[in-house]
Amino acid sequence: MNRVGVVDEKTMNQRDAKPDGAKRRSDNKTVAFGDASAVRSLPLWSAISAILLLLTWWAVTRAWGYPEDFKATLESGLRDRQLFEQCQRADECDTGSYTQIVSPLTFPSVRDTWNAGLDLFSDGYRNVELWTHAWASLWRVLKGMFWGTLVGVPIGLSMGLSSRARGFFDSIVESFRPIPPLALLPLFTLTFGLGEKSAVPLLVFASIWIMIIAARAGIRNTKLSKVRAGYSLGASKRQLLTKVLLPNALPEIFTGLRVALGVSWGTLVAAELSGVQEGLGAMISIAKNFSRLDVIVVGIVIIAVLGVAMDLILRKLESILLPWQGKG
Amino acid sequence: MKPLSVQNLDMVYEVPNGAPVHALSNVSFELEAGRMLTLLGPSGCGKTTLLNIIAGFLAPTDGSVSLGGTEITGPGSDRGMVFQQGALFEWQSVSDNISFGPQMETPPPLWMRLLSPALLLLGGPISKIPPLQRFLFNQYKAQFQPQVDELLDIVGLQGFGDKQVYELSGGMQQRVALARCLANDPEMMLMDEPLGALDALTREKMQSLILNLWSETGKSIVLVTHSVEEALILGDVVFVMAPRPGRVEKIYELPFAKRALTEDPRDIKASAEFQEVKEEILGFIWEMEEEIMGREAS
Repeated sequence: MNRVGVVDEKTMNQRDAKPDGAKRRSDNKTVAFGDASAVRSLPLWSAISAILLLLTWWAVTRAWGYPEDFKATLESGLRDRQLFEQCQRADECDTGSYTQIVSPLTFPSVRDTWNAGLDLFSDGYRNVELWTHAWASLWRVLKGMFWGTLVGVPIGLSMGLSSRARGFFDSIVESFRPIPPLALLPLFTLTFGLGEKSAVPLLVFASIWIMIIAARAGIRNTKLSKVRAGYSLGASKRQLLTKVLLPNALPEIFTGLRVALGVSWGTLVAAELSGVQEGLGAMISIAKNFSRLDVIVVGIVIIAVLGVAMDLILRKLESILLPWQGKG
Repeated sequence: MKPLSVQNLDMVYEVPNGAPVHALSNVSFELEAGRMLTLLGPSGCGKTTLLNIIAGFLAPTDGSVSLGGTEITGPGSDRGMVFQQGALFEWQSVSDNISFGPQMETPPPLWMRLLSPALLLLGGPISKIPPLQRFLFNQYKAQFQPQVDELLDIVGLQGFGDKQVYELSGGMQQRVALARCLANDPEMMLMDEPLGALDALTREKMQSLILNLWSETGKSIVLVTHSVEEALILGDVVFVMAPRPGRVEKIYELPFAKRALTEDPRDIKASAEFQEVKEEILGFIWEMEEEIMGREAS
């Protein structure tokens, strides 16, 4: 007897029944381990990690168990660091009577950083507005990226289009690309001058190789059938470049921009550490001279936030300008 | 419409550190205007090489190809090409893809191109900005619209002109590719496994579409395929090719393509006559494959 396809009632019921107590995944997948598409960033867990990070910071930098009567004798509104210093100096305050895992002389406490942040946002640091610092840094990055892209993209395109250009630029690109830009800072300082004068050329150096390689990859990844379709539809070489190759390379160039932005941002702050008056790196460097650890941490947080924000903006732009991205 | 003439074609690929590959050896044939030729054969028999030489993408080692007496030296808009999926320009809308050929022929005036570098990406993202589009692009693009609408109608994609290419299914994308190829009004259409990536049902529908296009436009078509059935139902003339060296081994002139214009292609495919030819060719290809395997094994 042909039993294929016959399902008896028992197995039907089993199929429909959910296992007791087991929580079903919303996407109905039974196995997610190793399935990359089933793994996503759960926001709750991101929040938990952020809170854990803050809690750790707070716990290790907080002073536990200052004598209450000692605190009462001091004026209110003291920073943790001042409290720490006065406590050390005071006879009646024995340093063994409280515990602080990380001394405020090594890393600022949450409260100090928060206060410093509020101060910086309202009054700036040493008579320079916070926005002036941030804008000076941003402007340098924009200038460096602009020139890096303007020079790098045509070179990259030519490398993707001509064997001669490829041969000519290959040795240059491959030998300069692995050099960390900061290793060249001393040479740039001697050539272009201190601070501001060498910061922008350094950023051009940081971004140009990335843009060259991105543009070259964009051309090289063009499907042969698209190029042939263009030619057999009657396109000239120039038309093929502007109507087929360039649009095809745009997503890669945009990815290059994002990478270059990240690298430039990192390079810039380090380049600003000496010789410039304005910029987030300069602010950190000055704060270091005055041992203002709280200002340094605020500066670091601002750098991180701006870096993430710029990447998000570029990603948004990418989805607006290049909606076909990855759908070819 | 012009006849295609292929004379003593030889194609040898030089392989670094190896014996040269004889992709085509002494291939000669004449194809009258308005015929549909399908090329069939095991992999490595040179059918795609032959198509690429006719298209002008490859220059033969020896011999010549001419269309209506003019020798073919490079790609041109008189020979439209339809590829397997993925050759559409995904940064353009369906309409812009179809009018790509005419746009190359009638580029926007110089002042328009100078006025906005955005025009370099004609039909690209920047044209989505409404005021700029209204101001610059519409005047220029409007001239292609009647033709685009007509072609959309012919391939059965009415109302899909403003869609983006990636929003369409595989079969619809190949319809766009056919329309884009027709927009230049080429002398002949060359198709490199155009239906290779489609599912069986879509494939049958597209076969009917290609047959209708063929009879309505009267253009010559050269079509490369892996599928024996497809070669037989579409081929007015079928070349069965053999590898090493690549050559035309058998030529069939078959009535099925013309009959499929009036009868149901499925009935034809089921008919004894069709099955007989199919079995014969399959047996023949099978023999060739066995021979290759034997040669490689020894």
